[in-house]
Amino acid sequence: MITKDALWIVAEFEGTRIAPVTLQLLTKARAIANGRTVAAVLLETPAQTGEETLAQYGPDEIIVAQDEAFQNASDRTQAEQLTALIKANQPNTILFGATPEGRSLAPRVQDQLETGLTADCLDFYYEQDLLVAVKPSYGDNVMCEIVCPDRRPQMASVRPNTFAAKKATGAARIERVDATAAADSACVMQKTAVKIAATTSLSGARKIIALGRGANKDAVIEGVRKVADKLGASVGVSRPLTDRPDFTAEQQIGQSGVTVSPDLILNLGISGAVQYQVGMSSSKLVISVNRDSKAPIMVQSDYVWTGDAAALVAALQDLL
Amino acid sequence: MKIVVCIKQVPGSNRVSFDPITHNLVREGMAGRMNPFDENAIEAAVRLREQVGGEVVLLSMGPDATKETLHDGMAMGADSAYLLSSRAFAGSDTLATGYILAQAIRKIGAIDLILFGRQAVDADTGQVGPIVATELDLPQATFAEKIQPLDAQHVVVNRDLGAVTQTVQLTLPAVITVRAEANQPRYESPVAIQQSLTKPLTTWTDQDLTLDASRIGQAGSPTIVRKVYAPEPTTRAAKPLPQDPKEAAKALLDILQAQGLL
Repeated sequence: MITKDALWIVAEFEGTRIAPVTLQLLTKARAIANGRTVAAVLLETPAQTGEETLAQYGPDEIIVAQDEAFQNASDRTQAEQLTALIKANQPNTILFGATPEGRSLAPRVQDQLETGLTADCLDFYYEQDLLVAVKPSYGDNVMCEIVCPDRRPQMASVRPNTFAAKKATGAARIERVDATAAADSACVMQKTAVKIAATTSLSGARKIIALGRGANKDAVIEGVRKVADKLGASVGVSRPLTDRPDFTAEQQIGQSGVTVSPDLILNLGISGAVQYQVGMSSSKLVISVNRDSKAPIMVQSDYVWTGDAAALVAALQDLL
Repeated sequence: MKIVVCIKQVPGSNRVSFDPITHNLVREGMAGRMNPFDENAIEAAVRLREQVGGEVVLLSMGPDATKETLHDGMAMGADSAYLLSSRAFAGSDTLATGYILAQAIRKIGAIDLILFGRQAVDADTGQVGPIVATELDLPQATFAEKIQPLDAQHVVVNRDLGAVTQTVQLTLPAVITVRAEANQPRYESPVAIQQSLTKPLTTWTDQDLTLDASRIGQAGSPTIVRKVYAPEPTTRAAKPLPQDPKEAAKALLDILQAQGLL
């Protein structure tokens, strides 16, 4: 039997694997559950076995609906299936990853349930039964606490890479349920392709060298790419450098770009606007190089070097 | 093809600060502007009309000042505009806003396509498009980077969902939200701006729409913003590396070595 009043995480596939944000949300949900049942809900085809991955991250329950209809299912089909499961089981809280897919499904579910949904949260916690969702606004310059006091379930989508995923022991009960949603003849998938995009490698990268306006020179960027190769690091940028032809918004850290939480981030010539800081603040080791010792990035950093990024990059190249 | 483009007026700048005494939000440059992603939605609509004919209708909800943004949209090529404005709409969250827009779209009637920008740059939710689609029980394609008309009943949309791309065929009527990558919005020429002033702009209040009072304004909004504040920067040690670049580089690599990052 599926537990009522539980905290549900809507699981998402990214290509053939479970999306990292789903696992990150399971870890965070367990940390704040305080006795609540944590359940992952998964829509998949009979050929898929997402529950095996989910079970390694410690949910109490995994609710699995398997059906051929979920092969290339439309947003409407998936949202209707989720809504039916929610209506039947009345969870207290439902969390989605704030991925394009999560952000497409969650509001459809929200509207059918006529309840509250907070988008793109950076944090969430309970006050008794109330979920407090913390989300940025105005280009991450402002934080808002948003609650849904009178209606249930309470819903939020949560920005990927805001929390770390940790494997956990404990056996999850697997509840298999019948799929009820029909295929959507008004939205037919003709083609789908997994992108081998910079965004994936950047958001999952363990080491990142990030470049800002103060490193916006061809020679410096060329040097950085060589250093990054030696260190096994990915290269990211702050917003100004996305104007260059060799970088896109997908390599951008921060607001409207990617949130990262690597073991190491080396910031070169980045002043550290609020929206950039929010995008990298959970990095383990932060080292920053800037000509201005008073740039906001400096107090966000474990180690700092005041000077021209070009000089440090050249010195690193010599040593590596 | 009759296309409705739902647009939002957002603050002219995201550079907001806090009054040190009242702790209230202070917005620099209070003048509004069109949400930038909505410009892409209008451009996409105008191009579809240029390809297959039809009309482009703008729809927005907001205070009277939103008319300026609607005129901007008509200068970009839209044919007419509706403003939904009423004190009864104040305090609407995404759910109430989506419901009100959907009721207005029902009243406009005979719509083939409803376009939105992928999200608004102030609150960044991207929720209203899918809510409108659900209210009207329509299929959707969010995060569109390309829209091609197929025939009178179908469009083909390329969606960029970050990790994957999809090509979907939608049966009309349908809802599409548009990414910035979809197009380069055209500049408003002086002639187009002049023409926009003579295009019809209709204002509807709550009295002009069929609305359930429990679904609009604060009553229809389940979420409450209970606190707004500036993000607290988490400060770190900021230990300086040696000033000489060579020594700094050596010290940096030593730190990486010590932390197992080499």
